[in-house]
Order: sequence, then structure tokens, then C-alpha cells
Amino acid sequence: MSKRIFQHPAESQTGKRYWRSLGQLQDSPDFRQWMQREFPQGASELEGNDVSRRGFLQFMGASVALAGLSLASCRRPLKNLVPFTKALEWSVPGKALFFTSVMPGRNGGMPLVVTTFDGRPTKVEGNPLHPVNKGSTDVWAQSSVLDLYDPQRSKEVLFGGKKADFAAFNKELDGLLKAAGDGAGLAFLTDGAVSPTRDRLRRRVLAKFPKAKWASYEPNGKDLELAAAEVAFGVGSEVVNRLDRADIVLTVDRDILGVEGDIASVRGFAAKRKVDGPKAKMNRLYVVENRYTLTGGMSDHRLRLAASRTGAFLKALSIEVAKLSGDKSLNALAGGLKATDVKFKDKWVEECAADLWANKGKCLVLAGHKQPVAVQALAFALNASLGALGKTLEVRKAVSVPTDSIASLAEELRKGSVKALFILGGNPVFNAPADVHWAEAQAKAGTVVHLSLEQNETSAKAQWHIPAAHYLEQWEDSLASDGSYIVGQPVIMPLYSGINSNELLAKVAGVDADPLVLVRETFAEVTGASGEYSAAWAKTLKSGFAAASASKTLNATLRGDAVAKAISDLPAVRLGENEFELVFIADSKVDDGRYANNGWLQELPDPVTKLTWDNAALMSPAAARKLGVDTGDVVRIAQGEKSIEIAVLVLPGHADNSVSVAVGYGRTEVGSIGKNVGVNVFPLQTTADRRFLTGVTVAKTGKRHALAVTQEHGALEGRGADLTRQATTQEWTENAENKDFFKKMGIDAHAPTNFSLYTHPPLDDVHGWGMAVDLNSCIGCAACMTACQAENNIPIVGKEQVINGREMHWMRTDRYFASEGGDEDEPEMVSQPMMCQHCENAPCETVCPVNATVHSEDGLNVMAYNRCIGTRYCANNCPFKVRRFNFFDYNQRSITDLYRWNLISEKGTPDSIQMQKNPNVTVRMRGVMEKCTFCVQRIQEAKIASKVLASDSGVVPRVPADSFTSACAQVCPTDAIVFGDIRNPDSRIAKLKEDQRGYRLLDYLNTENRVWYLARIRNPNPKMPDAARAGSASKGGHGHGGNHEHASSQNGGHA
Amino acid sequence: MANIFPRWSNWLPFKIIFCLLVLGGGVSAGVWYYLNPEYMRVGYQPSQPVPFSHKIHSGQLGMDCRYCHSFVETAAYSNVPTTQVCMNCHSQIQRENPKLQPVRDSWQTGKPIEWVQIHKTPEHAYFHHSVHVNRGVSCVSCHGKVNEMDEVYHAETHSMAWCLTCHRNPSEFIRPVSEVTNLDWKPEEGKTQHEIGSALVEQWHINPPVKNCAGCHR
Repeated sequence: MSKRIFQHPAESQTGKRYWRSLGQLQDSPDFRQWMQREFPQGASELEGNDVSRRGFLQFMGASVALAGLSLASCRRPLKNLVPFTKALEWSVPGKALFFTSVMPGRNGGMPLVVTTFDGRPTKVEGNPLHPVNKGSTDVWAQSSVLDLYDPQRSKEVLFGGKKADFAAFNKELDGLLKAAGDGAGLAFLTDGAVSPTRDRLRRRVLAKFPKAKWASYEPNGKDLELAAAEVAFGVGSEVVNRLDRADIVLTVDRDILGVEGDIASVRGFAAKRKVDGPKAKMNRLYVVENRYTLTGGMSDHRLRLAASRTGAFLKALSIEVAKLSGDKSLNALAGGLKATDVKFKDKWVEECAADLWANKGKCLVLAGHKQPVAVQALAFALNASLGALGKTLEVRKAVSVPTDSIASLAEELRKGSVKALFILGGNPVFNAPADVHWAEAQAKAGTVVHLSLEQNETSAKAQWHIPAAHYLEQWEDSLASDGSYIVGQPVIMPLYSGINSNELLAKVAGVDADPLVLVRETFAEVTGASGEYSAAWAKTLKSGFAAASASKTLNATLRGDAVAKAISDLPAVRLGENEFELVFIADSKVDDGRYANNGWLQELPDPVTKLTWDNAALMSPAAARKLGVDTGDVVRIAQGEKSIEIAVLVLPGHADNSVSVAVGYGRTEVGSIGKNVGVNVFPLQTTADRRFLTGVTVAKTGKRHALAVTQEHGALEGRGADLTRQATTQEWTENAENKDFFKKMGIDAHAPTNFSLYTHPPLDDVHGWGMAVDLNSCIGCAACMTACQAENNIPIVGKEQVINGREMHWMRTDRYFASEGGDEDEPEMVSQPMMCQHCENAPCETVCPVNATVHSEDGLNVMAYNRCIGTRYCANNCPFKVRRFNFFDYNQRSITDLYRWNLISEKGTPDSIQMQKNPNVTVRMRGVMEKCTFCVQRIQEAKIASKVLASDSGVVPRVPADSFTSACAQVCPTDAIVFGDIRNPDSRIAKLKEDQRGYRLLDYLNTENRVWYLARIRNPNPKMPDAARAGSASKGGHGHGGNHEHASSQNGGHA
Repeated sequence: MANIFPRWSNWLPFKIIFCLLVLGGGVSAGVWYYLNPEYMRVGYQPSQPVPFSHKIHSGQLGMDCRYCHSFVETAAYSNVPTTQVCMNCHSQIQRENPKLQPVRDSWQTGKPIEWVQIHKTPEHAYFHHSVHVNRGVSCVSCHGKVNEMDEVYHAETHSMAWCLTCHRNPSEFIRPVSEVTNLDWKPEEGKTQHEIGSALVEQWHINPPVKNCAGCHR
């Protein structure tokens, strides 16, 4: 009898193909290696910096001998129990306490609930009561906890780079203020965080020093959008996108679902994507962009277009809309825009315009918020003509107070009239536009005081550096994007005695600098309640926000003349056929560079490019061919005298004459994590060209640079079409009655179900845990990955280890491109969160020689770390490649010290990093396997709570439906991940797993997964020229419906 | 030709093997016996900064365990009392007792008393007090007759096998919830622990994790 070898049915090579990378599309040897091996050749060798395996064994022998000499250390170390002297109210050792707070940001505050254990904040979640985020958060909020504990945070007051103290600073400050007179020599520069208390103190400061200058700068902020709103709707107005009301959305160079939007937009969009059946109405998204973004990935129709042609596109579209609506003024406005003649796909523009016009009042056009003011103003005019004003595009009184720009402040500085400059947050020396020459201007100020969380490039050039308090350390406040007032409670004393900007400003204004008093006064002003401790204050702290404070919408009308003037003032953009444009994109991880020292963010793969620990010049395959470069080749991007050298990353779906580079990399004055990671492109950015720079030359240098891209890691035999299923609304409607429509797509249409040779223990608990992932609302933002990292104590491994495929994320978001005939230019994109599928017939369990991974009766594939001996058989046998191995003691070593010999390397984690760890999750050591546990610590806590509640009552202990959830489901801004008890008929998961769209990955393997994916639905406009390409169901290689026996010979063959 | 090896060498390999077996057996037996929680942990009785006597407080005075270990019913940890709890009584009685000097010092300075930990769960195992004491597992099952100890010592092994004796057969240990902190409780006349325990296990649907590793290892 021969051994039965399972042969996977081959993927069809005809029809639409799904690919993770160009390597896969071209079937490169590198890709085959990633697919066939869990880790690349040699990844399990210690081929590191200085130690070979043989050398390592010699060292090991020595260390065993040394260990033998110190047997005394076998005694159990003495541990102390240290109770409080006086009990603290609410504090129960080992139990979590939750506080409402807020993370201030440029798009308003993110309402939060902070989890603290014994006084240490360990995790933040969204405030479930707040209407803006309803308990969800984003990547930045999740990773902000790590910023708090960053051991390289600024810890002391510095004067001229030398340690000073607050007493010395206060003395200096008094002197400065006494000499200030009417404030003519004072200047302030703040970041763009929305803070009512700071605004109030600003008024106080300006009342005391009326001639002081006040500017703000936010590199990725909405200042140009505000300027455009001012042109279109008058002074002090701002626009609010209501994607929750729009049936048809067109974005032009605006990643509204990614870094250029906010959580309200994402949630609003997702609400319109929730479908419970083929009859449900869904929104339609048209995207015009130069590179693939998350928004482009969600699009129903996508047009790739250089960012510099955004204005020309809007012009063409406006003229089409004007034709349909007969709006002469719009026609005139659009006609006024000077745009070099650009060829568009006429039919595309026509049909898009027709669709928008047909949905008048229910559609929304969004232009890039860093496009020139006139282009954005034209988009507002277009929206007005489409009846969007007041419906899908609201105009309201601006939340932030208008300030001077950084450029005008730099002018003042150059005049030498500024005696004292206060920089509150931000890092203008690093990220101000190049033509501002900020560093030079700053040097002209008499005294520069820089308040910052970290010692950065700006601190290095300031006389005084003051450590700032993290938002979790001090009383703050903010306004959510709906205008509600949120109080930021501190949850820990300032670790390094930092102060926040409110305290500093209060000192300048000469008022009581107690941050709590300052916030309470603002609270009183905003809500009209008493400033003392009151019931209203207590209520606000409990719920986290004061709802009554939502700001009023304005009844705005378009100021046609002002828009016309702005448009006529805009010079034409020229982009020659053989020229490139350079597009500055906000980074999805380090933002403008402020999060550069956050290891979680550096190691998070970019949602689209899957690049970690770097930025790169993104360009299309055609452009790369033209330049003769490939991913990893270094190119020189130059305009005039200025140039940068940066590695290329070839990205399908990119516009051909365009190169995109993320800003915020190439920091030099920063902690060890972010230092010299990537390339700084700010030197090429100018005030006039915040978004794109035309007339750029790109040339090959011949150098290579290793990029840590995870896109080919964990490839599953290339079965993209099988794993991420999708259909168009039309296909779904046609198959509305076919229960197996989505379940029998691709290989599952052919392969007979496999059978199990093993007996399995009964899964007889009252609970059964399962998860559903709705691919129709998942935008692929990777917030789940960061939440998982924070919840489950997942270490970072460093760039070198990521290149070796040793990243530790328990969860990944796979990004697939799909196209017919290997089209690299206009593929579709699908994101798929991937975690342990908790197979009931888990292949990993049967190969473990030590029973370290086994099944629990409630349906979890559990991992007992202390049994694991590290054979890695389980990872080899996992069809989903979701298991992670601790090749090194990542929790004991710094990522630069992994290869150093055990006895001479520094071990241990900084205390502050230890404080972040979730006390309910084991911190794993070297040599053990780990993987997603479905947040078993939360499951156990819920089960224990139900047992404690049942006590001796005789009630069957049962966790109530949907009473808790996993970290990834909790964070998800689109509610795409649902976790719960499949045995409880009241739970959401019990219903979702029966959904027609529900399917399980590689079902023909008979693994009986506990994760259900809900297929993606595309809603193309049948009249559009590219409508035929959308979706995949009927055009996929394998078709659908019925079990075709003809393929069974491929399956279960004998060898 | 004369023999190269003398006659006695015929037995040498067997002797060597025998000695190695004895030595190996001895080492194994030693490891098995000494490197075992039963030997390493049971009886561990470090000296505490204050010689607090459970025998006096719990045994003679009859104070309930939960007077000091107040969160045992709600939290995973059974907390060690704050100095404040000691001072509730000792600000009135035994005010001059020199043994209590560290307590008074702590109260005055605000510096906590550093008790020495006796029962320590390994880092990869998560024990939850509240789910045990609320479901009829008495303190005595894991900590022994603390009410008879002058200074607390490690009474049970706290090894995984020891945990499983109860998880596999809870009926041998479960008692009415009201009697959990009564360390001297005995099954009422005429009934055995097994009878009472079996009834309670069935009545309360007691179902401790037996094969579910994640019950304790997360």
C-alpha cells in the first residue's frame, strides 16, 4: 500500500488570476521558494552577523559548562508581595480598570477607553458610546501605547543639549515674558492637534501679548482643504464628508479610506457596504488615483491617473456634468482651469458623470486634500452643482482657529524680530517644506523653546528642549470630528515629569497651570456647566464626551466669483510624456515622521505595498521597465539641484509617469528604532507643491537596497481566487437562490471533500468559538494587526528578520491583485485578514510530537508554550501559514543584538516596555511556536465571569451572546470582523456563518475551519467601459455551481 | 600465543555497563525525587518581615480569610492586605508590640511592607482565585490548614499533576460555597465527601478544564 499523498488541485491558468505580487505573476524562483517553504532556504540557519551555527554550538558548550559552575542559582529567586499601605478606591490587584480618554489628532480627537492594570495603561480601545467610532480605533491609536513607554522618549529638560531642569527653564521663561512687552518679539508654532483648551489659552496669550505671532503646521494636515473651503464657502468654514449618506462616491487623488481620511469617513463608507442579501442597496465607489491605495482597493471602478492631472480630470468631469445638468456656471468655472490637454478615457468620464448626475443629492465628489486650492474649490463647485451641499457634503463652522502659515512665520523669523519662539509639538526642522528653510529661520530667533515627546531634529536646533507629557499622562481635551467635546483623562503619572502644551501656555499666559483646572475651565465654557467638580463633569468623564457640544452646520452657498478667481490664478500643470511627477504621500505608519521610533508601526506592513522598515519609490511595472529597474534597485529622483536616492518598489496599478514616495522616513535625530530608516523626501517638497512635483527626472544608479516586503510571505499555493471570493451585484442577484454560489467557487466547485484519517475528540462544550470576516467591508487598514500586537504581547523582530520571513504578527492582511491575462497595469485589489483558522480537523495538531498544540472542547486550536520543543512541524503542516516561530529571544534582546552570543549580549527588556505587556498573556521565549489564540485570555475571562456569576445557583454557566470580543474584532473600524459563540443562536456569528456569502478557506481539505469569510461584492456600473472586468465569479477559471467530478483525478492521487 | 588481554578483562564491559546503569539510575532517581515540587516546594517557609500568625488570627480569633484577602472572590489574585487593614485593629490593640514595629513604620512612612511570596504560579500558568472559591473549592485544598500555621509554609505541591487530581475528580474536593473559608469543615455526619461533592458537581454543572490547555495556559 502506498502512502496517500494529497495533491492540491492545480490553479487554473486561464481567466482571472489572483496574485500577491509580481513575483507570483511571473512565477519567479523567489516566489516559488516562499510558497513551498514555510521559511526561505537558510532561514533556520543562524547566518547572522557574527556567529555561524558551528561557532554557536561551541559557545553553547561553554555556556553549559559555566552554568554547571553556578548551581547555586537553582534556588527559586526570592519574590516579594508588596501591597499598598492604604487601599486605593476601585483598585483591585490584577483586575483591569477602564478610563475614558482621547487621543488628540489633526482630524479631531479619537474617543478612547483605556485599559489599565494596576495603574499601567496596556491597551486602548475606542469608546463604544461615542457615535463617531463606536468602539473602534485605528493603527495610530493602537500603537500610541508603545509611544508612552518608549524607553528613548525625551526624559529631561535640555538647555543647549545639556541637562537642565524645570526651575532653570521657569526662570528663563519669566525673563523672556518680562521682556516681551506687548508680545512683538514672541512667536508660537503648534502642531495641528485639535484642542479646545489650547485654543482658549491661545486667546489668553494673545490677549496678554496682542502682537505675538501664532502659526501652526501639520505636514499631512487639511490646511489646503480649509483654504479651499474658505474660497468656496467663506471665511471660517470647513467641509465634512458624509459618506454615510452617499450612494455614489467619486474620489480623485484622495485616499479617504486610508491615511487621508478619518474614522468617521471609513465608518460612513462601510455602513453603505453592509449587505445582508442580493437585494440590499450598496454604494458605488469610483476612484481616480495615481497609485493603489486602500480606497482604490475598495473601488468598483478605478482609473489610474497621475496626481498632477487631477485638475484636468475634474475639469473634464465638470464639463460633462454641466452638459447633463445645463449648469452654465459650472461649465464656465471648469473652462477657466488651465489644463494642458490630457487624454482621458472619454467613455469613463462620460458614464461616471452620468451616474453622478442620476444620483443628484446622493453623490459625493472628493478631491485630494493636498491638491492646489483651486482644484479643490472646483470639486466643491462640482458638488454644489450635483446637489451634494448640505446632504453628502456638509459645511460647518471650522473647528480649528485659523492661524498663520509656517512660511509667513519663517519670514518673520528671518527679519530677526522674533526674540522668543515656542514650538509646541511637531518637528518643523525635519518636515517643513524645503523652500521655507525652517532650520535657518529658526536659528534667527533669540531663544527657541521646543516642547516634544522625543528629542528630534528640531530639539537639536533649539536652545531649550522640554519633555512633553504623553496624552495618556496628563489632562487634555479635544473635539471629535462630529464636534462633540471629549475630555482626555490621564491614566498614569507622567513617567518622565513631562508637561503638556496647555501647561506651558498657561505659564506664558500667567494663569494657573494645573492641567486639570485648565481642562475644567474649558469644559465649563463649552458646556455651560460649572467649572468646579459637578455632576455634569462626572457624567462627562464617565461617558467620555459631552454630546451637546456638536458644532452647527452652516447653510452655505457656493461663492462662484471667488472660486472663479482662484481657478484663473492657478497656473497650468505640465507633465511631459517622458517626464515623471513625484507624489508625496502621507505614510500609513510613521505619518509625517512622528511615529518613526515606534517599532510596531515600523514593522507593520504597509496595507498596499506590504513594505516594512522603509519607504520606497513606488512606480508602475511599465515605468520600471522603461527605466530598466526592478524592486530593490536604487534610483535618483531629481528636480533641479535637489535629489534623493531611494529604492524602487514596483507596484501594479500605478500610473505610468508617476512616482510616489511616502514622507516621514529618513529621520536622523530619533531613537534607535527609527534612525536612518528610509529616505527623507521633505527636501523636495515645497509650499507650492505639497502634493506633487512635476518635471522630475528618475535615473537608475546601479545600487541595490534590500527592502523588507512581506507580500510573498505566507503565499498559499497561489490560490488567490479561491481564498478571496467575489462577485458583482448582478452575478449575485442572478444566483440569489443558489445557496452554494459562493461556497462552490474555484477549486471547491471541483474537488470532492477530503476525509479525515484521524478520530477527533468531541467538541462538546456549551460554547464554540468562531469568527466571521466580511470581505465586503474590510478595507485592509491593518488596525487589527496592531491591536493584536498590543493585546498579545507580540514582539518586533527588525528589518533583517522580516527579510528572513520571521515576522511574528499573529495576524496578517493578505493583499491580492486580480486581473485577466496577467494585466499588471489595471488589476483589482482585495485585502484579506488572515489568522489561525482554528480548524476543527487541524493539520498542525496531528504532527506535533509532544502534543503542544491540541484542541479544546470549545473549538480552539490551543498552544501550550511550555510543551513546545520547537520542531516547527506544525508550521510546515499548516495550510494557511499562520504559525509563527520565535527564532530568537525577541523579548529579551534588542533587535540589533539578536545574533550576539548569549553570555555577552545584553538581555532583558526595559522596564517601561515591560509595563506595556498584557499581564494575561504569556510572554513567549525563544524556540516556541505561537499563533492566534482567538484572544483566549478574553474567552477565559468571560467564561470565568459566567462561572463566578453562576456560583452555587445551579444555573448552567454560559457566556452571554456577544458580551466580549477579540482584539481584532474590537478595533475594526468597519466592523468587518465578528467574533463570538457559534453555539449561541443569539450571537451575531451564529447568523453570519449561515450567510449565503459565507465560505471557508480551502474547504476541500476538510479542515472544518472556525473562520468564515463573507465574499466580496462589487457594484460596477454596467455602462462603464471597464465594468466587464469587475468581480470574478463567472469569469474565474473554475466557474461555479455543482460538483464537477472531472477534476477529482487531481485530488487524492496515489504516489 | 598468549592472551593479549588478561582473563579478568572479559567481565570489564559488563562491569562498566552495570556501573553506568547504577549511576544513571541514581541520577534519574535523584532528579525524579529532588527536582520535584514535592521536594523543592513543600515546606518552603521563608521568614517574613512581620511574623504574622495565621494560627492566632484565623484559628484562635476566628477571623474570616476574606477580612484580609478581600478580593479573593472577585479577582484572579488573592490580595495581600494593605497596611491599613492591619492598622484597623492594631491601632487599638498590641500598640506597643515590638513585632509589629514594621507595620507601624509602614503606616507612618507610607512605605509598603515587603512580604515574601510563598505560593508562586509559574508565568505560563494562570490561576484564577475567584472562579475556584465561588465554585466550592476551599482555601484549604491548595494552601493547607493555614489556620493552624504560626507562619505560613507551602503545604501542597502546586504541580500540574496535583492540579489535575482535582480537575479530573472535582467531587472529591467540592464543598458548599458557604464553607469555602471554613478550613475545619468536615462532611456532615453520615455523608462522605464523595457523596456531597458528586451532588454539587452535578447540581452546579461543575466542568473544570481537563484537556483544554487554554484553561490555564494562555
